[in-house]
Amino acid sequence: MKAAPFDYVRASSVEMAVDALRDGAVALAGGQSLIPLLNARARRPAVVVDVSRLPLAGVEQVGSTLVLGAMTRLRAAETSPVVRRAVPLLAEALTHVGHVSVRNRGTVGGSVAHADPAAELPAVLLALDAVFSVRGRGGTREVDARDFFRGPHRTALAADELLTGIRVPLPPATARCGIAELSRRPHDLAITAVFTSVVLTGRVVTDVRIAVAGAAPVPLRAHAAEHVLRGEVFGPDVLAAAAEAAADATDPIDDVHAPAAYRRDMTAVLTRRALRQAVPA
Amino acid sequence: MGGGLIGARVSRAEDVRLLTGRAVFIDDVRPPGLLEAAILRSPHPHARIVRIDTAAAVAHPGVLAVVTGADVRALVHRPQPLIWRISPAGRETVAYPLAVDKVLYTGHGVAAVAAVDRATAEDALELIDVEYAPLPAVTTVEQALAPDAPRLHEDWPDNVAGRTVVAKGDVEEAFAQADVVLRETFRFARQLGAPLETRGVVATWDPFTSHLDVWLNTQGPHLARELFAEVLGLAVDKVRVRVPDIGGGFGSKAGFYGDQVVAAVLSRASGRPVKYVEDRRESFVATVHAREQRIDVEVAARADGTITGLRGTVHGVLGANFSTVGLSPCWTTAAVMAGPYAIPAVEVNVVGVVTNKPPYGSYRGYGLPKANFVHEHMVEALARHLGVDPHDVRRRNFVTDFPHQSPVFVYDSGRYAECLDLCRDAVRRAGWADRVAGARAGGAHVGIGYAFHNEVSAFAPSRIVNMSGLDHSGFDEAAVRIDSTGHVSVHTGQTSMGQGIHTALAQVAAHVLDVPLDHVTVISGDTDSAPYTGYGTAASRAAAVGGAAVLNAATRLRAKVLRIAAHVFEAAPDDLVIDEGVVSVKGVPGRSVTFADIGDAAYRRPHGVLPEDEAPTLHEREVYDPVNVATAFGCTAVLASVDVETGVVDLLGYLIAHDCGTVINPMIVDGQLQGGAAQAIGGALYERLAYGAAGEALTLSFAEYLLPTATVVPPFGVDHMETPADHIPGGFKGAGEAGVIGGGAAIAHAVEDALAEFGVRITSLPITPPDLLAAIRAGSDR
Repeated sequence: MKAAPFDYVRASSVEMAVDALRDGAVALAGGQSLIPLLNARARRPAVVVDVSRLPLAGVEQVGSTLVLGAMTRLRAAETSPVVRRAVPLLAEALTHVGHVSVRNRGTVGGSVAHADPAAELPAVLLALDAVFSVRGRGGTREVDARDFFRGPHRTALAADELLTGIRVPLPPATARCGIAELSRRPHDLAITAVFTSVVLTGRVVTDVRIAVAGAAPVPLRAHAAEHVLRGEVFGPDVLAAAAEAAADATDPIDDVHAPAAYRRDMTAVLTRRALRQAVPA
Repeated sequence: MGGGLIGARVSRAEDVRLLTGRAVFIDDVRPPGLLEAAILRSPHPHARIVRIDTAAAVAHPGVLAVVTGADVRALVHRPQPLIWRISPAGRETVAYPLAVDKVLYTGHGVAAVAAVDRATAEDALELIDVEYAPLPAVTTVEQALAPDAPRLHEDWPDNVAGRTVVAKGDVEEAFAQADVVLRETFRFARQLGAPLETRGVVATWDPFTSHLDVWLNTQGPHLARELFAEVLGLAVDKVRVRVPDIGGGFGSKAGFYGDQVVAAVLSRASGRPVKYVEDRRESFVATVHAREQRIDVEVAARADGTITGLRGTVHGVLGANFSTVGLSPCWTTAAVMAGPYAIPAVEVNVVGVVTNKPPYGSYRGYGLPKANFVHEHMVEALARHLGVDPHDVRRRNFVTDFPHQSPVFVYDSGRYAECLDLCRDAVRRAGWADRVAGARAGGAHVGIGYAFHNEVSAFAPSRIVNMSGLDHSGFDEAAVRIDSTGHVSVHTGQTSMGQGIHTALAQVAAHVLDVPLDHVTVISGDTDSAPYTGYGTAASRAAAVGGAAVLNAATRLRAKVLRIAAHVFEAAPDDLVIDEGVVSVKGVPGRSVTFADIGDAAYRRPHGVLPEDEAPTLHEREVYDPVNVATAFGCTAVLASVDVETGVVDLLGYLIAHDCGTVINPMIVDGQLQGGAAQAIGGALYERLAYGAAGEALTLSFAEYLLPTATVVPPFGVDHMETPADHIPGGFKGAGEAGVIGGGAAIAHAVEDALAEFGVRITSLPITPPDLLAAIRAGSDR
């Protein structure tokens, strides 16, 4: 299919982009999700605002924060030594996003703004307590990841706002990470995926983050599961209890790939596996 | 003769063009003034069309023609043709290129637009106002056969499209005398062949001469020409079908589709060439579906493992309308359900059931993968029941005396036990038993599965295929020429669609004529000039019967070359030898004449070279119609692991032992086997066209319809053995479909072996993680 007619604006500055964004407009970054949707006429914007040439690409560590420009290509972030050193969980999660050819074009901002509930990046950024920089006509505001995702493909972005950057607080150097993802074929969109970060003091869990993709209308932070683990000695019993708590937090859907009950059950399996990957027995 | 090229592992002549981007596919065909078409498709699985208003679309800028189903019906001379009638007394659907009064499935075409470009045509589709009165839909065999089921065709008493039976021997007696009777029900999901290139057509209607000139990525240009002529009421000479390069066929491009007629009608209405290419989303509703069946079977056996009877019913879950081949894929499942086994009594009923889905048509393997799954499952079940090795049950029941009259076809030749041994040897050489033992010691669940298949290939003998219900011949015509420079052109009616048939036929000609391979060019794809072939390039027949036709024509041409050379040398033709296009007298290497010399004499300067009694030119034509089909066979072994917490299956190894008679090019056969095996993997683990509770189509893109990708296809190992078909010149048997036949059963058996402790039995495909996990849990609870 071919896209329905739309007007096209190539933004040469963030101000110009924000000025063009309004109800019925959509921002085009890497195009890996939007272009197929346009071609299927599943999205019919009046205006496509092309933000791909904006100077919003780049990765840097600023003090104890990793800052990613929204236009940073997924592959650039994945292969950045800065990301790998500062936030290994994020670098590792990026390797699961689509295929390399998709990551070469797709952007970190695009993935976040597209807000697919099964996507890796929203979930891992939720686990990392990321903060999103959002530019509107009135200026810039910061939105916590936990407030950003509102539903499938729905976010806190207003029609006239553009996601410009992502700030990730650096986890402690002692944090260990684990990812367990289940997809029908490698690099497919996840059926369910779990992202974990664990800090141990001795054998005791002093900090833990668990986020789940593909198990609810939005990426989930498994707070109850984290609560089960925090302050406990890391071992099979608390792992099992945390896995069940994570599964209890889910609100999954049925689709052609898996029924909701399977996604719930897999959340438990994957939570246990991700935690075990972070802290092998 | 014997230039050594039959059997040579040579690179494919097609590949340079394909790999350097110089191929011309259907979408590259752009005659001047071209319009592009789009088709409005039903959003409902079943609805009455109350009203269609096309006025706004007609008025849309850039639109040159708009037609509705009723418009197209008024212009055609007959409904969409059916070329395979399994149940001559049975009901047949009457379908036109677009829906007329009712839409019968999601995606059923309702109206079409030709415009200056595809985007404009799609814009105009949105301006067509259709009022539908939705009706309840049926998408499963159980729904369709329920007593109060909505009827798709209201003049029918039910949703049964046809019944027939495949029978041999005394089944009642076999079951009455049986020591063991085992029963099972199998279900196979709906799939489709998904070639890299979707289907497309460029039709040009000449309003002054009433010629229809068509470019079509079809597997059967001659068949398409015949059917265009029938449907549009034209003499055959008024229709020309040309085939560009084709990006894969798999049977999907073998049928005659309504959208091809729509393009012709739009060209007639607009006075311009019209292109219609289904896009990927449309292909899921516009290209034929396949595979979906429910099969209930029983086998009768003696306590020693001898299978004495097989009976049951194949329910073909057809679409709403027949495809070009009707019920025949489902009949084929029944026809070959005994597989490689000499079962004396067989009675398999075939029931075609219409549902609110797109037509059911041909896809690589036709009915065979389902039949194979059934007989291989039953062999394993019988072995388990008797506590014996399943390979012993296979051996005990293999056909060993050839020719063998199976329920329908006569198997010409085979060495099944040797092929089974070849496969088991390959497994031993690969060290799979150690891998399984090692993995199990580490707590993993890994297993090995086997499936043995045989295949009715070279489906070509015109009388046999007619008796099977196919209303079309299957012979093959070929012409071989040597030109004035001594180079060779092979003209064939077969179609090149990525499978390497040009290379294979060139090897046959070069082998027979003893000329260098690069002196041979194969020409195909234009019905105005190509030799005729029955129904098309399908059913694993191109290499076998096309190869035999080329071989016979080239053999006669070689004789003429030798007669001319003999005249030059004043020697007897029998005393001459040919080597790389040079003819000399045996034992006298100093004197020689080249094919170029002979070609020059045959066309340009005959005086003194061409004998008085030889006609000029070097051209021989052959029409080859085999007396029988040719039965190829093979054995597949799969090594698989299962994650028992998630139900995910990983394939770790895949070995095929295969016999397709004389192999023309082992590299091409390897590729065919591997491509088929990849599709078997898709069918076993991934592919399913899904429908919702209300009958709506749920799989409309590759995000929902999962093809096997490079990441899930394991490395293959292939071993060949050769049992020539002694009734076919050259001894060739078909190889195009072989890889897909045994894969499903072998994968299922590997999964069952891996999960032996849970007693999991696989009776439906695909094996999805949620379903398999449920079966594992059920096994744990037992």
